[in-house]
Amino acid sequence: MDFAEITTDSIDLAVVARRVIPPDCGATVTLDGYARKYTEDKKTGSTRETEFLVYEAYETMAIREMEKLIGNAKEQFPISHVGIVHRIGKLEIGETSVVISVAAPHRKAAFTACEWLIRELKRTVPIWKKEVYSNGEMWAEGEDEKNGQASPALRV
Amino acid sequence: MSDINHMWVDVAFFGAVADAAGSREIVVEVPDTSTVTDVLSRLSPQLQKYRGKKLLHAVNEEYVDENAPLHDGDKLAVFAPVSGG
Repeated sequence: MDFAEITTDSIDLAVVARRVIPPDCGATVTLDGYARKYTEDKKTGSTRETEFLVYEAYETMAIREMEKLIGNAKEQFPISHVGIVHRIGKLEIGETSVVISVAAPHRKAAFTACEWLIRELKRTVPIWKKEVYSNGEMWAEGEDEKNGQASPALRV
Repeated sequence: MSDINHMWVDVAFFGAVADAAGSREIVVEVPDTSTVTDVLSRLSPQLQKYRGKKLLHAVNEEYVDENAPLHDGDKLAVFAPVSGG
């Protein structure tokens, strides 16, 4: 089965991965995205040390956009099922923020689709990340599409 | 002679834009020919610093550009480029 969900609870990676498995598949690729402690500021070359993250979503639209991505991925790639779960609220360093599981008859399509899905999710799904430091906080401002690196954050 | 017809639009802010606006949701009364741009131009001075910066807009949970027309009861969402994942 396919699913797109938003939760404030911690995400159990293995449970998400197992939910997508149909009998015609031979491999599931699962992305575990989690909160990073160190982020390099491309402008200054300095490194920011994050204490924790806060994610916010436009929940109903985010689920619709994730469901669109799933439909689009299934049209483009020979895959069987996709599950996406994104966590919002406060996340400690190392905690899982997003899981994308793609089940396919053969692994290659699952890897390709999973990479496409996370790239598009970061571009289109209305969810925002705030990095909180010991001396302030900053909303991340999305990704530079050219190199996949975070673009300069907005100071608030 | 008739008055200009007005309509009501819900405007929702998220993330950095909500912080700048100082609210998460407001209701505005605008002429019924208004577009997304028309509504944005009426918003609070704090939000004006985002004019010219990239902002994304959705009407009733679908992305639209800033020339999109609005209708009575629409929900307009205004936010900075997304940063989930």
